[in-house]
Amino acid sequence: MDEGMKDQDASSSAPESMSRRRFLSLMAASAAATSACASPDRDTIVPYTKKPSDVVPGVANHYASTYQEGLVAYGVLVKAREGRPIHIEGNDEHPIFAGKTSHRAQAEIMGLYDAERLREPRLGGAPASWEKAQAAVAAALEKAARERKPVLLLTPAVISPARRAAIAALGRVLPGLRHVAWEPALSATERAAAEALYGTPVAPRYRVERAKVLALFEADLLGSMDAAVPAVAGYARGRMPSRPGEPLSRLYAFESRLSLTGTKADARVPVRPSAAAPLAFAVARLLHERHGLALPAGLSAGDLAPFRADRVAKRWGADPAVLSALARDLARAGRESLAVAGPSLPEEAHAAAGLLNAMLGAEGYTLEAAHSVDPGPLASPAEMARLARELAEGKYAAAVFWETNPSYAVSDADGFGAALDKTPLKVCLGLREDETSRRCDAVLPVNHWLESWSDYEASTDLLALQQPLIQPLYDTKQGEEIILGWVKALGAPVETDPRAGLMARWRREVYPVGTLASFDEFWTAAVHDGVLRRDAAARAPRRLRGSAVASSAKKAAAARPGGLELLLEPDYKVWDGRYAGNGWLQELPDPVAKVCWGNFLSVSGADAKTFGLSDGDVAAVKVGGRSVELPVLVQPGQAAGAVFAALGYGRQGDVASGCGASVYPLVADDGSAPFLRSGVSVSGTGARRPLVRSQQEFGLHDRDIVRLWTPGEYARRAKTPEDTEELATLNDEPRWGEHKWGMAIDLSACVGCAGCQVACQSENNVAVVGPEQAARGRNMHWIRNDVYFVGDPANPQVAHEVMLCQQCDDAPCEPVCPVAASVHSEDGLNEQVYNRCIGVRYCEANCPYGARRFNFFDYTSSIQDPAELAFNPEVSVRPRGVAEKCTFCVQRIRNGEQIAKDEGRPLRDGDIRPACAAACPAEAIVFGDLKDPNSRVSRLARSDRGYKVLRELGTRPAVTYLAELKNPAEEKTI
Amino acid sequence: MDPRDRFWRVTAPLGALCVVLTILVVGWSVEPARYQLGYAPEQPIPFSHRIHAGVNGIACEYCHTNADRSRSATVPPLQTCMNCHQFMTLPDKTLQGDIDKVVAARVKSDAPIAWKRVYHMPSYVFFDHRAHVNAKIQCQSCHGRVETLDVQQRLMNMRMGRCLSCHRDPAPYLPPGSPVKKGPTDCYACHR
Repeated sequence: MDEGMKDQDASSSAPESMSRRRFLSLMAASAAATSACASPDRDTIVPYTKKPSDVVPGVANHYASTYQEGLVAYGVLVKAREGRPIHIEGNDEHPIFAGKTSHRAQAEIMGLYDAERLREPRLGGAPASWEKAQAAVAAALEKAARERKPVLLLTPAVISPARRAAIAALGRVLPGLRHVAWEPALSATERAAAEALYGTPVAPRYRVERAKVLALFEADLLGSMDAAVPAVAGYARGRMPSRPGEPLSRLYAFESRLSLTGTKADARVPVRPSAAAPLAFAVARLLHERHGLALPAGLSAGDLAPFRADRVAKRWGADPAVLSALARDLARAGRESLAVAGPSLPEEAHAAAGLLNAMLGAEGYTLEAAHSVDPGPLASPAEMARLARELAEGKYAAAVFWETNPSYAVSDADGFGAALDKTPLKVCLGLREDETSRRCDAVLPVNHWLESWSDYEASTDLLALQQPLIQPLYDTKQGEEIILGWVKALGAPVETDPRAGLMARWRREVYPVGTLASFDEFWTAAVHDGVLRRDAAARAPRRLRGSAVASSAKKAAAARPGGLELLLEPDYKVWDGRYAGNGWLQELPDPVAKVCWGNFLSVSGADAKTFGLSDGDVAAVKVGGRSVELPVLVQPGQAAGAVFAALGYGRQGDVASGCGASVYPLVADDGSAPFLRSGVSVSGTGARRPLVRSQQEFGLHDRDIVRLWTPGEYARRAKTPEDTEELATLNDEPRWGEHKWGMAIDLSACVGCAGCQVACQSENNVAVVGPEQAARGRNMHWIRNDVYFVGDPANPQVAHEVMLCQQCDDAPCEPVCPVAASVHSEDGLNEQVYNRCIGVRYCEANCPYGARRFNFFDYTSSIQDPAELAFNPEVSVRPRGVAEKCTFCVQRIRNGEQIAKDEGRPLRDGDIRPACAAACPAEAIVFGDLKDPNSRVSRLARSDRGYKVLRELGTRPAVTYLAELKNPAEEKTI
Repeated sequence: MDPRDRFWRVTAPLGALCVVLTILVVGWSVEPARYQLGYAPEQPIPFSHRIHAGVNGIACEYCHTNADRSRSATVPPLQTCMNCHQFMTLPDKTLQGDIDKVVAARVKSDAPIAWKRVYHMPSYVFFDHRAHVNAKIQCQSCHGRVETLDVQQRLMNMRMGRCLSCHRDPAPYLPPGSPVKKGPTDCYACHR
């Protein structure tokens, strides 16, 4: 990509040195090219020979499927056109995800059409047939079985019964099989803590919608944590009051990094990560002493004696008033409260959070474990280090890496790679070439999940199905089929076809005895819905062991703030590194720092001063004898005494190369909290690596563009007259046609998750421009999530603002267009006509919202095959030299109108949902007809929290924003 | 000659002529109506609309099934042809022989037929057949009297003016009593 960009730069500078003759010859050539393009001869129509009954060319089909990431099985609905998937949304039928999904799941369209995917099996680096490759592996495995030598199988977390069955079948023919499940960026601490605290390792489901008070300790519940999507939906439900005085939930965040969740906190306390446990115990003590809540059996008041709130708060630099306010709120809310400790935190913090939940009775109400599934243990970094030692000793006859990349994602990646070379046969089952596959003898390409059959156990009472949307693009096989192929070669009779195997197992194990429907009907219905609810006995409620808490409390009491702490978490976009090759996600700005195409070291202003570093300075981060160099970002809200960096960068691949640095070397390969380090040193290297940021200015400068209100302010300022009156205009009053489209965005519900951004990119063929162009501010995103910091930079209030074309009634972009490429439609849309646009960019200069984008280059011609298959055929792919912007997804509007007309009915409210609104897990974006006074959008546009951004300019936007409400605790006494 | 005189007498008129000629040549060569009207490429199979739609009176939508439910009217799959051709034999032996050959080759190999596109729409135009067909506009209003053609040819001027003239005053093409008074003339009706 870098190279391509440079080429284009060279061509863009050509006109300066262009002679008149060259200009004329180019003109002649382009005229010839134009007439050649217009020639109809090049086009053919190729109809089906046998048409699939459910495919109508030109009409999209939607199929339910499931996407696994880590321990989460997202229920998704995939939109396909003429048999190729082009857009992913959430599955409405799914009881947990309820029609929503994460930005990373949406971006999997790019993962499917990734040019870097492996296209055929390889043996010893040379292409080989499947028969040959499979036979070679099977022969080696047979030898291992005969000689009773151990074989290693490293997989991601296994939450799929189909995958579990395949691995079990392999284990039966291969007695020496050692299966290790491993998620490099997921902490095993939470599971270990649950085991110690409750005697069961299952993780509860957080019912955020039931919680009135949330106490989050370094827990990015609305951002990078597993359960983020339903958590955002649940959180938003309690934050959208329609009139002053309605109850609001209250979110307390104690955290070091400024997380997405922290930006929404009503009270945010920046503290180092190791403060979490003592602070939470201090709150527990307050609950017991001041509010009379009972302690669980096995824990005495004496165990909590070291946690006097004022002392603990003082020691860890927290405001004691917040602790007492939290205790008071929690006591008031009772079981309608939820305490969560972040996955990176040590066991003490989980014990403290568990104690709070147990004392409040929240266990079983806001934390539900009745139907939780145990995904089995995950290998910790320490176990991976042990594995590397075993490999180095040559213990294994063969090692199989199934969609795992240990030569990248362990703390000693080079060491692991070298250890790997000691194993006689290394097999890689993967989607793309990666650091591990380069060292493997046999590289077996697997199907993408959009090409696969599988099932997932989301909870004991819920099964989810995965179905293929497309035939495998390349000569690949599904992983289960490959594994079962070996089983068959080793002499066990198994069904290797994934669909047949899945159906047979469902007929045997899932199809309820005595069902009236035949199995085929039952199966078809399950595949259609993508989920199947089942009756399952509820687990016995989890009961906290007071004795375990007591020993944790002892540890927490001994903790003292020491040197610099480092927190490592999976990146919000590329996660553990598996999406590093995805241009959509690389170019998506970090939701808080607004950095794209790389990671950074988040440092507080105070610490930056101590280190003598500022934005873009490269710092060497040293801990435990290892060092990583990262550019510094001085992040408002970052706690002093702690720094933060995201995992997942520093990969080697076409798109990912040169993007950020891997911080896996800093993960501890011993201890119980490997992602939290203390005794870290940060020093400047003298080098500079400027960060690529999509937003430069984070201050509001007293402009009234984002409203952050407390409930009191809401009552006072609710709809002041100047918010509703339109300014006088010299233009003719517009006359609208049948509809007048508008949008309402509730900033109180919006958490800035960026789901809308990926949805828009996918729906509207928005180009990826690459790091160099992005550094010049040339991102093409039609919708962006702006972040503003208000108040004290050490602990600011944060406002998110979704910004997109406001479809102004008096649009400043329209009168300045010399060729009338920007005009207004009678249904209130500000139209941008690409075929008229000559690229003068006056519109862009005149748009006060910065909503317009310009194609500086022909970004699409550099797209590698087959990525063009991801294009939405209902939207133009814009050429070089035209301006573009949000259209309110006019293709969806036109299609919705047409369907209503064809069905002979009026358009219903909610029939049309732009991609951003459909994707928004908070339901913060509402679209509809402003001419219909009863539509949801009309009601929201009249909301007493409503305002228009830059209303004073007289642009008359069609987008109404609803003020964000912060709900801080009123009392300030301890 | 005074160099200024020379400019006005020779250079400027010649330059102007060049500009005008360039505009005319480029304009003429990209004017679709001029060279695309009557465009009738040779098709891989000599299908005759006259015999099917004209002589046998088969409705357009029997084959172009999706005109009322999709943006594209769609060329039928080979299956549709076989609905009739597997049961009937033509009196003309050569023609029947040709059809048998096509069937034998295509059905066995499952290879689709690549028809030459006659009506070509630029990529920035998003025409929707549904809206027009469901408003009960006759296919012939745009495509001409297809049922008289042995070789399908372009009978429609595909310039935007043609679209707009009808969108502004669709009455002549609509059935009597149609509730449709005018078609949309917003840019976003077709361009996006």
